[in-house]
Amino acid sequence: MDPEQVDEFVMGYLKKKGFNSAAKQLQEALHHNNGGTFNSTDYHNDPELTKLIRSFSQSENDPTRYRDGYSKLRSWAYNSLDLYKHELLRVMYPVFIHCYMDLVGKGHTREARAFFNSFRKDHEMIHLRDLQKLEGVLVPSHLEEMEFARSLRQSKVNIKICQYSYDLLLQYLHRTESTLMLGIINEHINFQVYSGQPNSSSDDIDAVTIVGSFQETADHINQKEIQWGLLEDSLEDRLEKTGSLLSDSEKGQGESKDGDVDDSKKRSNEIGKQGSSLKKLKKDKAGNATAKVARQETSIVSPAPRVKPELALPVMSTDVEESILEDLRNRVQLSSVAMPSVSFYTFVNTHNGLNCASISHDGSLVAGGFSDSSIKVWNMAKIGQAGSGALQGESDTNDQNVGPNGRRNYTLLLGHSGPVYSATFSPPGDFVLSSSADTTIRLWSTQLNANLVCYKGHNYPVWDVQFSPFGHYFASCSHDRTARIWSMDRVQPLRIMAGHLSDVDCVQWHPNCNYIATGSSDKTVRLWDVQTGECVRIFIGHRSMVLSLAMSPDGRYMASGDEDGTIMMWDLSTARCITPLMGHNSCVWSLSYSGEGSLLASGSADCTVKLWDVTSSTKLTKAEEKNGNTNRLRSLRTFPTKSTPVHALRFSRRNLLFAAGALSKPAS
Amino acid sequence: MGIVPKETIEVTAQSIGITNLSPEAALMLAPDVEYRVREIMQEAIKCMRHSKRTTLTASDVDGALNLRSLEPSYGFASGGPFRFRKAIGHQDLFYTDDREVDFKDVIESPLPKAPLDAGVVCHWLAIEGVQPAIPENATLEVIRAPADNKIYEHKDGPLIDVRLPVKHVLSRELQLYFQKIAELTVSKSSPALFKKALVSLASDSGLHPLVPYFTNFIADEVSRGLNDFLLLFNLMHVVRSLLQNPHIHIEPYLHQLMPSIVTCLVSRKLGNRFADNHWELRDFTANLVSLICKRFGNTYITLQSRLTKTLVNAFLDPKKALTQHYGAIQGLSALGHTVVRLLILSNLEPYLSLLEPELDAEKQKNQMKSYEAWRVYGALLRAAGLCIHDRLKVFPNLPSPSPSFLHKGKGKIINAEPRKRKLSADSSENQPPHKRLITTDGPDVLRPHDHTGPAPMHVDKPIGNYNLPQNSAQPSSSEQASDGESRNGKEKERGKSRAITMKAILGQIWKDDLDSGRLLVKLQQLYGDRILPFIPSTEMSVFL
Repeated sequence: MDPEQVDEFVMGYLKKKGFNSAAKQLQEALHHNNGGTFNSTDYHNDPELTKLIRSFSQSENDPTRYRDGYSKLRSWAYNSLDLYKHELLRVMYPVFIHCYMDLVGKGHTREARAFFNSFRKDHEMIHLRDLQKLEGVLVPSHLEEMEFARSLRQSKVNIKICQYSYDLLLQYLHRTESTLMLGIINEHINFQVYSGQPNSSSDDIDAVTIVGSFQETADHINQKEIQWGLLEDSLEDRLEKTGSLLSDSEKGQGESKDGDVDDSKKRSNEIGKQGSSLKKLKKDKAGNATAKVARQETSIVSPAPRVKPELALPVMSTDVEESILEDLRNRVQLSSVAMPSVSFYTFVNTHNGLNCASISHDGSLVAGGFSDSSIKVWNMAKIGQAGSGALQGESDTNDQNVGPNGRRNYTLLLGHSGPVYSATFSPPGDFVLSSSADTTIRLWSTQLNANLVCYKGHNYPVWDVQFSPFGHYFASCSHDRTARIWSMDRVQPLRIMAGHLSDVDCVQWHPNCNYIATGSSDKTVRLWDVQTGECVRIFIGHRSMVLSLAMSPDGRYMASGDEDGTIMMWDLSTARCITPLMGHNSCVWSLSYSGEGSLLASGSADCTVKLWDVTSSTKLTKAEEKNGNTNRLRSLRTFPTKSTPVHALRFSRRNLLFAAGALSKPAS
Repeated sequence: MGIVPKETIEVTAQSIGITNLSPEAALMLAPDVEYRVREIMQEAIKCMRHSKRTTLTASDVDGALNLRSLEPSYGFASGGPFRFRKAIGHQDLFYTDDREVDFKDVIESPLPKAPLDAGVVCHWLAIEGVQPAIPENATLEVIRAPADNKIYEHKDGPLIDVRLPVKHVLSRELQLYFQKIAELTVSKSSPALFKKALVSLASDSGLHPLVPYFTNFIADEVSRGLNDFLLLFNLMHVVRSLLQNPHIHIEPYLHQLMPSIVTCLVSRKLGNRFADNHWELRDFTANLVSLICKRFGNTYITLQSRLTKTLVNAFLDPKKALTQHYGAIQGLSALGHTVVRLLILSNLEPYLSLLEPELDAEKQKNQMKSYEAWRVYGALLRAAGLCIHDRLKVFPNLPSPSPSFLHKGKGKIINAEPRKRKLSADSSENQPPHKRLITTDGPDVLRPHDHTGPAPMHVDKPIGNYNLPQNSAQPSSSEQASDGESRNGKEKERGKSRAITMKAILGQIWKDDLDSGRLLVKLQQLYGDRILPFIPSTEMSVFL
């Protein structure tokens, strides 16, 4: 090759890449050398190098090179050794999307589209939603505008790969001199090479999920320490102390227990606890005896650490406290062999207008948020008393809707000016909070049946609002990508949690009130410190929008459900997914842990309520990791409803499971 | 290219009045439009998810447009999701099915009902982990293949296809319920409680899982307790309650129930004591049978034919006891007048001749036998009478001749003949010859209805549109003449401008009418005055 020509190539390349100063220096050097002795050191005579340089200088814009390079790499990966194949195939996805975005970025819309369509089948199974998003990117400006594409461009993907696979890949890339692919891989993939045998293909979820630039920050953030324990001097604590006392005294006199039970019955009737029927009450009591025995066991198994509250918590009135203690004392102990009873509240005649449903802690009040901006609150205890035979079927519903004096039997709360997306009851059931598309949150009193406060702060529809476990404080989240902490007595938010890359879709309090968790459309779940407003955990692993969250009562675990029907159990302290719970095949709208945390209930758009065994899926982790058995989740029961997607679930303090949903006519 | 080609942009531009859009501009706009559409869709899907729905609606798109501070699309928020139809002959051309509405229809149609207000109903989805079988819950697969176990086996060891016995899970409450009902049925001790149990059986929801057990129980007890009259009666009451329960789907178990029921209808002996009123049981069971046939006859086509076959066999077998005959007659008569007419009346004549000696107190010395015979005779009479009554009522368009018409020349003939018949019927010594006469007559009466019957009689039928009454039967009897006359009278009344179809209809009516008349007369011959209470007065005046 003509040395002159080589120089020219180098110059051209430098200019193209924008290394202007380097180009200038090279030019000067060339000028300088022109007259003098040309000590041609190496690169002019080295044929390998010349070839390389030439390949760089080849028309960079040639769009077919991407296609060729990618298809070669693909066929190589598919023909590679079975043992390493899945690791190599994992590399294909980032290469694929970056090839596509490169093509788009250079303005080859048509070629980009053709490229995308010819290979999208490979990745559809795992990355369907991402592909659907990327599909719309057609002009360079979209790359800038779209959050997802931008974060992909800026970030590197971490891929765990075993030593041998890595060597194989590098060998291939060098041998075939596919510099383009090499460039993409170098630019966008961060290999974490480990020695030894390749992992089994199924169990590392994070390997296949591509998230934005925060993988490292996430790792960094997840190093922070969190106090996941329960509050000291909580009611549970007190119960355990008094409970042991009780069991001592019970040995002596069995009658006192009966009296106790009667008392509780009276009281719960007075307060309207446990709502509609006495049956429930009896049932709860039946399990009482066994409950005591089992509770002592569990208290030995998992002594959750105690922490101090960081918020000034409201003082509970002794009445409320007593009734809660009573409930806790009468709680049925649930396990994989002792299943809960499920009471289902079906909304009828909603005409597709029910956006959300919420059940009070004792199950006696049910609130529905409607798309016509209204909120309706039903008092199930009253309904149960009024029409004892009201459960006969659909024919009776008309009569039932109209109360005894010809009026409707619910409380209508009007005030919002947009679809109501969420409603939540305060723990004693005296307040309701609702959030709406009109960007406001409203506080309602169930005693006055009136609106008390309107909280304005969010700039976009507020997707979710949740009362804290002790009331007074509440958290909201919105399309504006923030979550906010509020207290009932101030119209301004106390904290704003910003950091999610897309809508924050759901929010949930940690049982000790020091943290909130948020689930987002960016497919992550984050844990925030309420006091500092900092993000303390990022949970990466979901493949679609996170729709529901639940915290285990001991504060150690969190469950999150997504749009695809996957539920993930996370360990808060390590930020690792313990088990993905597969079983639903549509959106998981709601999750709830049982009172002592042994069961997880999930309600889904596929018209089922499922119960999952939590204890076995968390306890066995270590033992089963050795076996490599990943199938440690246990779906205990599936309760299909007739045709009712399950919108809300709640375990009462006595471990009765309440579920609610709107009857939908099956598609005809 | 993307999903939005530049032609779409050009068409849209034209539709909003931009005529000079350059192709380059369209080409530039197309990908951006696609991007924006996708963006809106992405937001719309978020709105949909937060409305807890899985179908995208126009309101979600409006919500998304709101999020982007754009004007919503008006006029589409009609509630339900759109249904798109594929244009025939085009691969990917869709349109919304938008019917043209006629103003007249809209105005004339009644006002739509007010939508029902939202409400909440509560039910148990599960009780301690078990779903109760109540109508609010999805129907359980009662018999479930042990799929899980099989998979497990496959995984663990060599391929062994282990099939566990199918388990039918029955809750404790249901078991207790079943035991209690069974006890009550067998013990017969407390009728009041049993009555309450029957009401519960007839109305309670959630008993469906018990149906196989009940059918089994009934079958067992009936075969075992044929001598126990009260038990049988109780069992039949249970069957009726089960049939009445609207929540029970009893059809799959009918084949098991029917033998027991038929047994209670036509068994030779039901109960062992003289005092046992087994007639009542047979009557009750006959009603049960008709109830079953009415409810399931349509879905279970062979039911009635099989049942009638059994009953007719019992009825026509002279060796069978009279009690059996009685049951069969009651069963058949409960099935409706068509069955009676086709199966009983056609055989009435020979049967009565058989019954005759039993009826006669002098010939039959056994009091019991004689009583039974009278009982059978009564049943027959009732069956025939009800049949004729129904039949006369069934033809509401029976052209009730105008009064004047009645009084005209016809009256003489009508009155003359029945008197003669009556006389002959009353004089018992005249019977033998009479019977012969009717046996030749009988089949002809029935045949016109028996469309699949032998050909000879059908030969002149097609022509019978005009003169069917005369041809279809021998014009020996006098009614024939009267019919002919009345027809003529009718014709005269209506004038000559009658269509042929009208004639045909009239002909048919007259034919039926004639049949009824003949039947009536025949019955009258057989039963004499006893049949009269069954016959409405108008018809009586016409025919007798």
